[in-house]
Amino acid sequence: MATTTASEKPQRSARAQAFADFCKRFARNKGAVVGLVILLAVVLLALIAPLLYPASPWQMVQRPFLPPMATEGFWFGTDTLGRDIGAGLAYGARISLIVGIVSTVVALTIGVTIGALAGYYGGYLDDALMRFTEFFQTIPNFALAIVLVAIFQPSTTSVIIAIGIVSWPPVARLVRGEFLSLRSREFVQASIVLGQSNGHIITRQILPNTLSPVIVMASLMIAQAILLESSLSFLGLGDPNTMSWGYMIGAARTVIRQAWWMSFFPGVAILLTVLALNLVGEGLNDALNPRLARKGR
Amino acid sequence: MQKLIYIAKRLVKAVFVLLAIVVLNFFLIRAAPGDPAQVMAGEAGAADEIFIAQLREEFGLDEPLHVQLWIYVSDIVTLDMGYSYRQDEPVAKLVFERLPATLLLTGTAFVLSILLGVLLGALAAARVGKWTDSLITVVALVFYATPLFWIALMAILLFSVKLGWLPGFGMFSVGADYTGFAAVLDVLQHLILPAATLGLFFMAIYARLTRASMLEVMDMDFVKTARAKGVAPARITRIHVLRNAILPVITLAGIQAGQLVGGAVLTETVFAWPGIGRLMFDALLQRDYNLLLGVFFVSSAMVILFNLVTDVVYTLVDPRIELK
Amino acid sequence: MLRRICTLAAVAAATALATPAMAQTSGGTMNVVIQPEPPGLMLGITQNGPTQMVAGNIYESLLRYDTELNPMPSLAESWEVNEDGTVYTFKLKDGVTWHDGEPFSAADVVFSADVFLRETHPRLRVSLQHVETIEALDDRTVQFTLKQPFGPFLGIFEVGTMPMVPKHIYEGTDFKNNPMNATPIGTGPFKFAEWEKGSYIRLVKNEDYHVEGQPYLDEIYWHVIPDAASRSVAYETGKVDVLPGGSVENFDVQRLVDLENSCVTGKGWEYFAPHAWLWVNNREGPMADKRFRQAIMYALDREFAKEVIWNGLGQVPTGPVSSKTRFYTDDVRQYPHDPEKAKELLAEMGYDGTPIRLLPLPYGETWQRWAEAVRQNLQEAGIAVEMVATDVAGWNQKLAEWDYDLAFTYLYQYGDPALGVARTYLSSNIAKGSQWNNVEGYVNEEVDRLFNEAAVAFPDSARQELYTEVQQILVEEVPVAWLLEIEFPTIHRCDVKDLVDTAIGVNDGFRNAWLDR
Repeated sequence: MATTTASEKPQRSARAQAFADFCKRFARNKGAVVGLVILLAVVLLALIAPLLYPASPWQMVQRPFLPPMATEGFWFGTDTLGRDIGAGLAYGARISLIVGIVSTVVALTIGVTIGALAGYYGGYLDDALMRFTEFFQTIPNFALAIVLVAIFQPSTTSVIIAIGIVSWPPVARLVRGEFLSLRSREFVQASIVLGQSNGHIITRQILPNTLSPVIVMASLMIAQAILLESSLSFLGLGDPNTMSWGYMIGAARTVIRQAWWMSFFPGVAILLTVLALNLVGEGLNDALNPRLARKGR
Repeated sequence: MQKLIYIAKRLVKAVFVLLAIVVLNFFLIRAAPGDPAQVMAGEAGAADEIFIAQLREEFGLDEPLHVQLWIYVSDIVTLDMGYSYRQDEPVAKLVFERLPATLLLTGTAFVLSILLGVLLGALAAARVGKWTDSLITVVALVFYATPLFWIALMAILLFSVKLGWLPGFGMFSVGADYTGFAAVLDVLQHLILPAATLGLFFMAIYARLTRASMLEVMDMDFVKTARAKGVAPARITRIHVLRNAILPVITLAGIQAGQLVGGAVLTETVFAWPGIGRLMFDALLQRDYNLLLGVFFVSSAMVILFNLVTDVVYTLVDPRIELK
Repeated sequence: MLRRICTLAAVAAATALATPAMAQTSGGTMNVVIQPEPPGLMLGITQNGPTQMVAGNIYESLLRYDTELNPMPSLAESWEVNEDGTVYTFKLKDGVTWHDGEPFSAADVVFSADVFLRETHPRLRVSLQHVETIEALDDRTVQFTLKQPFGPFLGIFEVGTMPMVPKHIYEGTDFKNNPMNATPIGTGPFKFAEWEKGSYIRLVKNEDYHVEGQPYLDEIYWHVIPDAASRSVAYETGKVDVLPGGSVENFDVQRLVDLENSCVTGKGWEYFAPHAWLWVNNREGPMADKRFRQAIMYALDREFAKEVIWNGLGQVPTGPVSSKTRFYTDDVRQYPHDPEKAKELLAEMGYDGTPIRLLPLPYGETWQRWAEAVRQNLQEAGIAVEMVATDVAGWNQKLAEWDYDLAFTYLYQYGDPALGVARTYLSSNIAKGSQWNNVEGYVNEEVDRLFNEAAVAFPDSARQELYTEVQQILVEEVPVAWLLEIEFPTIHRCDVKDLVDTAIGVNDGFRNAWLDR
């Protein structure tokens, strides 16, 4: 018993130390800190949307085409039907984040699985899986996303699935590369000699060591997914029951000259969120790959 | 010789990939609700069973699915992409009519973005940490994070509607009947806004990539050695760093070049550019199966072709890399 | 004994149209938007909206209609009908030639109506079931003999309904695959010149047109511009002169009309009388209850939709028949916007909050916004609504398979309830696979009887009585929820004169149009 606690304690403090180092490195990148602050603000906005705007964002609450700042309580103006743009922005943050995160999880699940299998087992399996990946990279991916959403008919689920399906190949390639190089390392070879199961080695030994680049990539993928979602909505391929920023711009497109605010604010919202995610991604990169960290400055 | 064998092998492989894509898309599009006969009947504003049955028979949609697939595949291997139901013209004609417009738009955007992107990226890397670097980095990041269609709309609003400097839609002034140089000038004018919008986004990517890649190379030993030997900094940047840092840019350019054909849907939509992306989107909504498959076939072929070209360019830039 | 109808009056009306107060100037090019690009221009084979809009200038029929739906001469210069309304005799105009120079004759009429269109034109095919024989009495005389009186008969000679096609080109060929379909030949005021796919269609003046001095324009360009915002810009920057109904989003209309030298009209839809409603699937769930359907009518804020979404153009309908269509009556139950009344009805029937699926019409922003407003209206009255997203193909299929609860649509009425209204409510018209029949699944024997009798009743006063009664029953029962009598705004430069002056508006508008520049 005594030995266990003894070995746990330094381990914990080592972890704490590593985390502190990570934070310090992350904080050294000022852009990343700014990004993190913006991102947290967006998350907060998404969380408290129902408190800020108790009514549904679809409710027609004022006269249409009210410019921003003109009427108390409607700082962002109203849209073609007299709905509050502010409410749309708040509720839109939710769906953008959900689509961004969930579709990235979908893409990671597919990509990591395929990449890990290909990289670990190699040989024919690797060949087959890589052909499969190349195949998906050959089909123009935005076009494929459009086709998928059109086939499943637009809904939050179909948008998420479509984005997930077109985004996984880079993950698979990245993970495969990491697996290929890690597989020949001593600690993996040792586990193989010790007779540990392949599943155990893949999930417990190698996968944790590939996490850094995957996390960095994931943060950028969320950003891409949000852009992709807005592009689909812009073309009229979004879920009609959820208020999203992409939908708002799509709906504002035809009236952009009468009501610049209708597309301007959601556009800025997307820009800020995507920018924040990119900045955070770079910060994570600096913090997780210290060897390369210096290049940013 | 070795190169030729390699290329031949790749081409054979490509044919199979293309076939697989065709088959996948064949089933995908048929999984979508509705069929072209229904869409066309819907557009006609009135139709009865006879009318729809006539259409299905005309299009060969009354055959069992596997027969349709067999007919399609055996046609496509002879490069016959069939007829468009909606437009009643050969798919090949429609696709190759639209392809030049897309290639002009995306090609211009591609060249612009690569030149500007690499230039800005290199500049930023050379002045790392200075305000030039910060400015370029921020600008690149902002364009990278902005929805393409949003910039496009803002550009039309500003340059076409408010200032009236540039045409905001189409590829040429219809009805003007320009010839010769005037016609070229006319197309160029129409090209500026869409190409710039599309190019800005890619430029941002290339700038970021070039900068990151150059910084990485600058850290490498051979650069340090050159620097220690007292080689002029400008020369180091030009000869040693850029040449080595350009490889990831080429990789990305290869991927991008392939996607250019299909990836211009948004730009073409906003600017009403008569290209292949828009053709695809319309074909999809109208369930014009043959046309959609044709567009996918051609744009996938482009991707494969560009990938191959990229690999060959790779060996030219860096002779150490072998094709295998 | 023959009754001579109208000839004098109609000729007078036509002359009045042809010679307005101002002197027309000849010449000039007109630039018009066409949306979407038509699948073909052979009007006998393709009859969708954009085809009719362009090909209405290439082809002609025997008659045209003024905005009150009175027939006017076109290829027929006069016509007669016998006393019991079963034999119609048309005298064709002399000296009419096809665009390729061949003379137009009675044989062409017989071929078009009896052979060609019976095979290719689903809507006309239904009307021609009432026709026993079509004969050419001589080169310039055609006689239609009906099985029994058919009230709307004189209304089926509109160019999109019965376009005259050249016998010398099509006889004995496979109509749909005739290579001449690519270069259509008609008798109309404009000739087909070229079609740059994805870009523009060009028509040029028919120098040998059979109306002296017409047309005035030298050529017409129809521009294909696939994006609504771009179409607005095209008008704004002066590239196009005319935006036909539906080519820009409604929210943009006011701004475009406010431009200098810009005019708008909601006229030119009298023949079609597009009538928008919500299909209500009468077969299933709460929709099977009449009180639920009435609650929907009370819940809808139809004035708001008209004012905000349709720029105040159009009219809130009282029932199944448009006020522009013949035999309309407003002597029916009224449904003002009254959410409280809707809630009462829902409480009375014991509506349990079952969610209802709403299928919008996938025709762009206007319809999407409208569906969102309707969803909000219904939710405020306590009906749980979930919107289903789909594209045109999916929408067609869902309606044809009856896989919906509420669905937006609009249908044309073609001037007469027997042509454009009865089809939606007759129980004999319930069949899967089409979205123009009794899609809602409404069954009422009394309604069937009234519609069937009214179609063949003679004269018109007898028809009016029957149609009044059927309108009263339908409005009480609410088989579908009527939303709006649509008037699609035609926006044009004010110096484009005499563009919209018949019941089909722009579809044959360029015959009289001229530029005051």
